[in-house]
Amino acid sequence: MTGRRGGRPLVPAYLSTGGVARPSRPQLERLSVLRSTGAPAPTGLPAAQLALLDALDDGSLTVVEAAALLRLPVSAVRVLAGELIDRDLAASRAPIPTADRFDPDLLKRVADGLRALKHPR
Amino acid sequence: MIELPDLATGGLAVGMVSALALGAGLLRAQRQQARQRAEIAALRRQLDGAARGFTAEIEHLAARRIPAAAQQMTHSHVTVPGPLSPRIAESPLGPALEQVLNGMRVELAAQRTRIDAAAQAGMRGATREIQAALYRLQDALRGLQQKYDDPELTQTLFRLDHENEQSLRRAQVAAVVCGAWVGLAREESHLVDAVTGGQARLAGYHRIRIHNHLTAGTALVSHAVEPVAIIVAELLDNALRHSAPDTDVVVNLEHVHHGVCVTVDDAGLGMTQEERARAQRLVAGSEPILLTELGDPPRMGLAAIGQLTRQFDLGVDLSSPSPYGGVRAVLRVDSQLLSRIDPEERPPAASAARSTRPADRDDRASRKEGSGEAGTESPGASPTAHGYGAEHDDASDTASGHHAPPDTGGLPQRRRRPRPTATPATPAEPEPIPEDRRPERAAAALGALQAGTAAARSAADGGDVSIDALGAVSDGVRETDHTDHDHDHEGGTAR
Repeated sequence: MTGRRGGRPLVPAYLSTGGVARPSRPQLERLSVLRSTGAPAPTGLPAAQLALLDALDDGSLTVVEAAALLRLPVSAVRVLAGELIDRDLAASRAPIPTADRFDPDLLKRVADGLRALKHPR
Repeated sequence: MIELPDLATGGLAVGMVSALALGAGLLRAQRQQARQRAEIAALRRQLDGAARGFTAEIEHLAARRIPAAAQQMTHSHVTVPGPLSPRIAESPLGPALEQVLNGMRVELAAQRTRIDAAAQAGMRGATREIQAALYRLQDALRGLQQKYDDPELTQTLFRLDHENEQSLRRAQVAAVVCGAWVGLAREESHLVDAVTGGQARLAGYHRIRIHNHLTAGTALVSHAVEPVAIIVAELLDNALRHSAPDTDVVVNLEHVHHGVCVTVDDAGLGMTQEERARAQRLVAGSEPILLTELGDPPRMGLAAIGQLTRQFDLGVDLSSPSPYGGVRAVLRVDSQLLSRIDPEERPPAASAARSTRPADRDDRASRKEGSGEAGTESPGASPTAHGYGAEHDDASDTASGHHAPPDTGGLPQRRRRPRPTATPATPAEPEPIPEDRRPERAAAALGALQAGTAAARSAADGGDVSIDALGAVSDGVRETDHTDHDHDHEGGTAR
């Protein structure tokens, strides 16, 4: 990514979650889509969760994109996102599966089969 | 005739007189000799006494005074005893013995410095190696954190990373105390990042609350980043160590006239006047550091701060008590060590505390307001123009900024930038489908097939393959082609 800082990061990743690595929502995957619910952030929200909320301001992001933006490992973002979802500040959607193309031969055979049912000999 | 006897008597008389005189002289001489002998004896006795006294004095010097004087150099409470007999002090011997002690003190001090320097050199070498190894370990751990998502593994990696940070801190502080370089060249960084980085190096980092009142983008020049992180870590460590585990340690970052102040307050017991004076002396860094003076186990934190404040022109003050009851430590960073980073281009770390500064809020608010009409107001412009109260805290700040429309300039733009690179992950916009695979075509093909089979069947039934049937095939193609434009793609394929 452009604009990424070189050098050793000053702030380690464990600080973002307070050392927690187990997400409260284990179903969050790398490609789960996060979006903000628009609810106002309560006072005393940890800085990293605020940063994630801010990143979601502009629209939906996948977990892995948010991780790249916040310069955090995906595992940390999963924890942060889990906490935000628990507080109803963010919502998640299962990853969008890549669409498969239908096999035209199969479709033809299905159509034949249906027609055969329609016009029995 | 008279002459002879006269002469004889005269001579006799003279002889008598001289004999008498001689006798008296002899007697006197004998008496004087006796007196002198007595005097000599007395003197000898006196000399013997003096020699004994001198020997005793030397023995006393060797057995008592020299060890005491040597001890006094490390333990100031030891008193050096005076000479045995007070008369010695008045004699020239007294100052001479004092000179012996002084000479020994000077030589001993020189030896001590030499030995300490050798010990420091040894430790410097060792800690430098350890530090380098720990940085390599850190790289490996962070690489693994990026690579694997498994929560259990991540939990272990987080713990190891934290342990590693703490070891690094210890090695680095020992090296700094021994006069080594901080061991890591960093690039210009946000001041709040340096403080947060210092926080992360401690076991009790959960108890630390950082309040950032700096203008967004307040940064440290590259060579001051690591020293500030080290000093903050040590001040925080002291604060955590000397306060109850259920109390918070509060850090405030504020602008002052000549730079920035980092204030660390703990709610512990505080320090006594003597402890405070000692701590203040150590952090001032005005005296050379001797390892032997740091105690066992050595308390290196304050000594390291002293080394760094001297080298980098930073100021640390421990002289005032905290309003929370404990100690207030203030690190002053002069403006010559400060610089500015564009927070839009290079934001501080995600875990770093937000600025509560009106300027920040102002930016966001102006962006929010201006998005309707202008939306191009440059961030950072007129940071104090709007009258936002300072009593807002960071959460309300983000709450208000949170609803900013997404089509604003500045920060959101930067955030949106990487999105195109990540589109494979979210196929929001379908790729153009090749012409021969369009749903309309598929529908048409199927329609044609159906029409064809129907025609063939009717031909088989009726026996004639009519032009109509063939026309129906081509019509079917045209028809489906035509009608499918009204339907969505999925409908087309499903037919």
